[in-house]
Amino acid sequence: MASKSSQGQQINIDQLPIPQLNQLTQQLEQEIELFTTSLNQLKIAQTKFLESQECLNKISPDNDNKEILVPLTSSMYVPGHLTDVGKVLVDIGTGYYVEMEVPKGKDYFKRKMEYISKQIEKIQPVLAEKFKMKQGMENLLSVLDITLNVIGGKICVIIKFDWLKNMLQWTPLI
Amino acid sequence: MTEIQKRLQTEVEKFQTVQKEYQKCVSVRQQLDAQLNENSLVKEELDRLADGDNVYKMIGPALVKQDLPEAKQNVQKRIDYISGEIKRQEGLIKDLDKKQDSHRETLSKLQQQFQQQQVKAAARS
Repeated sequence: MASKSSQGQQINIDQLPIPQLNQLTQQLEQEIELFTTSLNQLKIAQTKFLESQECLNKISPDNDNKEILVPLTSSMYVPGHLTDVGKVLVDIGTGYYVEMEVPKGKDYFKRKMEYISKQIEKIQPVLAEKFKMKQGMENLLSVLDITLNVIGGKICVIIKFDWLKNMLQWTPLI
Repeated sequence: MTEIQKRLQTEVEKFQTVQKEYQKCVSVRQQLDAQLNENSLVKEELDRLADGDNVYKMIGPALVKQDLPEAKQNVQKRIDYISGEIKRQEGLIKDLDKKQDSHRETLSKLQQQFQQQQVKAAARS
């Protein structure tokens, strides 16, 4: 219990009843899960943008009219020629596609990646803090658990003892 | 004692249904939030475009050309609708929160009564 006195928040936690403590821990766990999945998704999105940006590097005037294989499915390709290397269609979300010139497309992906980096930077400190809070709660809860177990054990013993006494009193009658 | 047990059980059931509803509402709200976010990003992107740029809308598997002002209007409409929905869900969540709290209170009271009775019964027998 010595570790709790350092921070104001954790002193508050001491005074809560156990059901609320449990509730708080549950809430914290849910929040941590949410933030972790969000973080992973953000990282996945970022790699996708990076891949798209690298693809754009291939669409340059040097490669105009060169032969390419176009994937129809993941295992079947048809030959084709690269025409119009100046413009690409970019998915900007919710079903909208915009025709952009290659430099503009690159700029788009760069902006998107910056945006995601910012989001990640926002989430990471929050997640770290939640983790710390959860650890504090768990420490407190385990201490409480032990004390409760001890108290519960005593009550149990008293009840059992009473029951035994009563049984001894009644046996002659049966 | 059995009466209290029955009351406890019904109360727990009620509490659980409220809890489920609450979780549903929260997940709907999260979804709405994600949609709002995506739409506002699209709006931002559309606002950056010049008048002459071509915008296509995906309808089924096909891409259909759409005017830029029309697309902007569409997205704005969606944003407005989603914001309204979020407000509605937020109200619902608040109500459910209150309900949950009141259920929790009655539950803990009932539990206390139940425990007291049990202790009394144990002492009496």
